[in-house]
Amino acid sequence: MTILLLTLILILAVASLTMKKSVSAIISFAIMMLLLGIYYISLHEKMLGLFQIFVYTGGIVVLMLFGVTIIGKEFPKAKNRAWASLFAFISFVALSWLFISTVSSLDIVNSNHIEINNLFAQKYSFVVILFALIGISLMYATISMAKVLRNRGKKES
Amino acid sequence: MSIFITQMLFAFALFGIGLYGVSSNRDFLRIFFALEMMLNAVIMMLATTAYHLGLSENIPLAYMIMVLATLEAGIGVLIFASANKISGKISPDEFSSKEVLQ
Repeated sequence: MTILLLTLILILAVASLTMKKSVSAIISFAIMMLLLGIYYISLHEKMLGLFQIFVYTGGIVVLMLFGVTIIGKEFPKAKNRAWASLFAFISFVALSWLFISTVSSLDIVNSNHIEINNLFAQKYSFVVILFALIGISLMYATISMAKVLRNRGKKES
Repeated sequence: MSIFITQMLFAFALFGIGLYGVSSNRDFLRIFFALEMMLNAVIMMLATTAYHLGLSENIPLAYMIMVLATLEAGIGVLIFASANKISGKISPDEFSSKEVLQ
């Protein structure tokens, strides 16, 4: 069942990148994200799965639909870059080889999932400053872009 | 063991598809799709290893990546919309920094 789910996810991923019509591509992307959420729920990560469904199938897809208002019904035609598929295939093979060569040293637990409270605070409190810096830089980028747009509007008028 | 390897291989395949999408496409919407796929492949790897290897600390990392992906999509669409409004073009290859920053 899991393999079928994962195969469907891969098929939808390829479809969302190859479809000519933008709305169809977004729909296949949304279904892919929904299936990924179901996959996480099947791994006993209910919260992560629900987050995936709410954030991706809800929020991100709406953002992408906003992009359709700029692009239009169909994606613009462009030449394919042949080296890209080779590059992706090599990266897939390299990752798989690295993983398979190290998997024998890993201890497979397969135990019941244990939820530890305050795990984030225990393990990742040191990255909060980094995240604050990222947030500030993103805010700065947004304000700068708004400033550029305002100046441009003034010039045009 | 074998199901763990298979699930991880599927995650690598999704990452590969995302990488192909980022490097081959020329319109921003597909590049965003591909970026989200790559980030989701990483979340998938974290969730799979958390389940099979008992690494519960992977899950907070997965949430963090999800937050970053959302921010990236929001800011990316905003920047693209702004650049499109200024230059009137839809392919990132055609954007000129001079045109945008004038």
